[in-house]
Amino acid sequence: MKRTFAITLILALLLALVAVPVGAQDRWDGADDLAVNPLACGMGDEMMDEGDDMEEDMEMMEYDGGMVAMGDDMAGMDITLVDVPKLVGIGYFAATTLGQQQAAEELGNVSVTTDAPTEANIDDQIQVIDSYITAGVDGILFAANDPVAIAPVLRKALEAGIHVVGYDANSEPDAREWFVNQAEFNGIAKALVDSLADQMGAEASFGIVTSTFTTPNQARWIAEMWAYASECYPGLTWLETLEAQEDAVLSFQQAQTLINKYGEDLDGIFAMTSVATPNGADAVQQAGVCEDVAVVGLATPNGMKPYVNSGCVRDVILWNPVDLGYAAVYVMRAVVDGEFQPGDASVSAGRLGDLVVVNGSEVLLGPPFTFTADNINDFDF
Amino acid sequence: MKSKTSTPRNPTVAEKLRHLLISQEGVLFVIMLVSVLFLATRTDKFLTVDNLLQQGRFMTEVGLIAIPMTYIIITGGIDLSVGSILGLTAIVLGWTWQELGFPLELAIITGILSGTVAGFVNGLFIVRVGVPPLIMTLATLALYRGLAEGISEARSARGYPEWFFQLGQGEFLGIPTQLWLLIIAVVIFGIILARTRLGRALYAIGNNETGARFSGLTVNRYLLFIYTFSGFMSAVAGYIFVSRVSTTRSDMGTGMELDVIAAVVLGGTSIFGGTGSIPGTIVGVVLIQLLKNGLTLSGVTSDATIVVIGSVLIFAILVNNFIQSRRGG
Amino acid sequence: MSKTKTSLVKRGPAHFIGIALALVIIGAYFLLPFVIQPERGPSTVAVVTESKKTNELNIFKTGVELIPLAGLGVLLLGAWNVIVPGASRAISFLMSVTGLLVVVYYINFFRDYAAGEATFISNMGSAFWIMLVAGILCILQILIPRGISERRYRITKLFGNQESIILFGLLFLIFVVGIANPRFLQERNISDILQGNAYIAVAALGMTMVIVTGNIDISVGSLVGLLAVISGRLVVAGLPAPLAWLAPLIVGAGFGALIGFLVAYLRIPSIVVTLGMLSIIKGILIIWAQGERVRDMPADYFLSQMRPLGIPMPIIIMVALTIVVVLWMRYSATGRAFYALGGNAEAARLSGLSQKRLLMTVFILNGVFIGIASVMYSTQFNIIQATPPPALELSVITASVVGGVSILGGTGTAIGSTMATLLLNFIRSAMIFINVSPFWLKAVQGLLILATVLADLIRRRRQRL
Repeated sequence: MKRTFAITLILALLLALVAVPVGAQDRWDGADDLAVNPLACGMGDEMMDEGDDMEEDMEMMEYDGGMVAMGDDMAGMDITLVDVPKLVGIGYFAATTLGQQQAAEELGNVSVTTDAPTEANIDDQIQVIDSYITAGVDGILFAANDPVAIAPVLRKALEAGIHVVGYDANSEPDAREWFVNQAEFNGIAKALVDSLADQMGAEASFGIVTSTFTTPNQARWIAEMWAYASECYPGLTWLETLEAQEDAVLSFQQAQTLINKYGEDLDGIFAMTSVATPNGADAVQQAGVCEDVAVVGLATPNGMKPYVNSGCVRDVILWNPVDLGYAAVYVMRAVVDGEFQPGDASVSAGRLGDLVVVNGSEVLLGPPFTFTADNINDFDF
Repeated sequence: MKSKTSTPRNPTVAEKLRHLLISQEGVLFVIMLVSVLFLATRTDKFLTVDNLLQQGRFMTEVGLIAIPMTYIIITGGIDLSVGSILGLTAIVLGWTWQELGFPLELAIITGILSGTVAGFVNGLFIVRVGVPPLIMTLATLALYRGLAEGISEARSARGYPEWFFQLGQGEFLGIPTQLWLLIIAVVIFGIILARTRLGRALYAIGNNETGARFSGLTVNRYLLFIYTFSGFMSAVAGYIFVSRVSTTRSDMGTGMELDVIAAVVLGGTSIFGGTGSIPGTIVGVVLIQLLKNGLTLSGVTSDATIVVIGSVLIFAILVNNFIQSRRGG
Repeated sequence: MSKTKTSLVKRGPAHFIGIALALVIIGAYFLLPFVIQPERGPSTVAVVTESKKTNELNIFKTGVELIPLAGLGVLLLGAWNVIVPGASRAISFLMSVTGLLVVVYYINFFRDYAAGEATFISNMGSAFWIMLVAGILCILQILIPRGISERRYRITKLFGNQESIILFGLLFLIFVVGIANPRFLQERNISDILQGNAYIAVAALGMTMVIVTGNIDISVGSLVGLLAVISGRLVVAGLPAPLAWLAPLIVGAGFGALIGFLVAYLRIPSIVVTLGMLSIIKGILIIWAQGERVRDMPADYFLSQMRPLGIPMPIIIMVALTIVVVLWMRYSATGRAFYALGGNAEAARLSGLSQKRLLMTVFILNGVFIGIASVMYSTQFNIIQATPPPALELSVITASVVGGVSILGGTGTAIGSTMATLLLNFIRSAMIFINVSPFWLKAVQGLLILATVLADLIRRRRQRL
């Protein structure tokens, strides 16, 4: 009896722990306590104007990146770089790797190896970078799994005289020199929300399928979407945000669950990862509700071709990851050569032309690109 | 002990050495030496004091958790929830500090306490209700991770004061601070396993649990202790981990249970219970860490590295089986 | 067997109070959504959408305030029964706790409502659940006295196996969630859940056989990922679809044979072998596929999307294989030998069965089942990801053990593992339908796994009595 009692007590405690906060929130807006900065309302090609406005703002921001310790002057000499994305084995980072190889080939005096953990794990990524610091590379390119956790090891690299440039996912600014920003968070958010409102009207209801609530980029996008939507489309109804890791089946099932749960009340699904978008589209297509539910998401064109070509998905939003990897290598080369210094307003990046500096120490790749049925077949990544 | 009673004269140094060499740990140690020497020929960056110390820093968390895991596996059990307990500890630490405004010292204690309680709950269900360890910890693997996610609401706690990082990022007498902890823990718990009644009881339970019960051992108490101990060590590892990476996230330590189990079984602890030792486990932990690092340094990428580590795991057990069976036969 | 035959407890006034409370609470649970939105039926979605749009919901007209009072009643009754002998103490204790939760919940709800901050469902979703639990406990309280009665022994014997427990759990879940949100019951949703997880059920069949022999396989996830890409690439390269479906089975059997050889002939524990294989196969997949997704498969490749006779293919495969495995393990000599091997390896050896051959067989079969699962997985979508499905091995092992397969080997059935797969995935989906906070989804899932396992243990203990 005493035994049963003890067990019951524990069960009850667990029940209490779980039950009390359940249902406290039915919507998750991605809040990570950072300030949001929604762009002005409106659709279409005003992105470039926004870009100009931003540039003016940026003039005021000082360089806030880190400083590399004095090393050998490698200007013009052959350099060896290592690229450490979040993980290897997924299409998105295969595309950035491709871009890096293209840049290395063009430049001729750069060699890049890509090496990263096989799972998006913060600790494994730290260990890989640390090993390359010991091995002695000239520069490190990274896409951080966590902005804070990766910072100490990057600072160590800077102290060792290794140049550090980030892309795709940022670290704390002072832990790297430059960050090649694929597109501003608020720009992505605006493009996504505008696309949905354009397709389904400003009174639409929508759900979100994201990777995990803790993934920094996704959290920022959703927070910016929330800010932009509540300012520009107050009529949009925010139904629910679901996690699906980077898991194809789970993404598919979460999209199905949204469709089945909300039925005709659901007008759109935002898919926040390059896995969730194709599989969310697949769920919509298999449920036969292409007309009623718009899938808007971030994805690489190759993954989305079946759905865009079949007419089930209208817009896919993304920057060009090949260009992103390409730009990262060019920025690194310019930094090593001393051609790109704190305070500069732009940097030249091969076939991409001059890229502007924003937010103090970020190089902006450009506005997000919208793939549609008209142009998606022109891309192969 | 045994050799004294069975052989009339003291064994010579050569005999002792031979005995040591063909023991489980000895074989593994030789495998490790061979790998280290091989890696050292591939790159001169590998066998340096700085690099090795740095690897020591990285392997501390796995090493600390591997100690209680060895105890548990020796009794024929398993604990899959260690990674989740690590995550839960990290979240409780960060959450009580940032959201509830606890002083950081108190938050650390609360975090470690909650990890220990998590281990205790595992033990209680295993001992009192009789849930098989694998099933119990499979359930709490999901449950504790879920609690960490729920409590944190996906927010991460950052911005700790400078002193907090001493343990995870600092040095003491030229050696990474947390490595001292690992060394002390290994020595103490290695001796406990090899030389005390507790240790002998664990082996007895692993060899024949029913027999151990009938011979008057308080089996339940021992089991409850080791699962609680596992929770405690996972919690300490969680604290060290937070201190090393300067942030808390609810997904910390995901998949760590497999790393730990791999190190323990590589170290010669039989998954069926009854055999194993702390020195073996530590050699296992070190071997995996050095392989990861050394292969990266010699230009092998991570995807190939995991193939090598998987093969070494199977190969090492194979070699050991072969030698032990010849020795036994 | 029936040595402890205590008489049934005398029905005192406390029991009638209990019945009354249970009626009030369960009645409120089922009726409340109707009361609030009679014209739109009991859909929680409708309730939340309406209340958000109009903001006119006046809950105090609906008699909601009766519920915390009933909760208080449950609390007091539970507390009283803990002290007074005659009722199961554990249940009485749980009653007090849930009663307390009901009260706390509604106090919070009324406070938020008064402050104008509450949407109806955001605060009520899980309160419904707690109410339901309280109601059920009140009834259990009456039905289950201390000790064991002749009548209850018979009931236990009839329904007291893990398969029935899971089946009842599944039906109960569907019923309750269906009432809370009827959209859960729509045909499309049920069929989506069934076919989306059928491949896990198939992999769990193989796992069940492996575990029954006292072994384990944790390389499932990696292998499914690799085989899916192999199959996809073959069909894109021009191989006819049926051959591309067959290839993973053969390669899977090959990997199974390798694992079986290492386990049976070289005597390495299966957990070690498959732990090593987990990373080896994953590494091979990443090096080989280079992150390149497989796409542009021909239209006749998508086996999982086919619907012969209007029934989705994955459901057909799952049901057929489950039946085959159940019959085979029960009636064939080899199938029964698996149980013998897990239950007592020595006995199996003495009875003239070749242990090594049996182990090889079980791992090869497991490889074939993983192959089938990977085909079901790869033909589900128009794109095949070049990464292993994350943590699939955990889902598969969990399904097997929740389904009643003893990890020590020797017991367990295929039907249990299939139903457990379904139960776990119904739970995952159901929690979204009843608006459990997304942050707590995993915790609730973990708790429910634990509850299922405990139910199994309690049953076993009872039957031993």
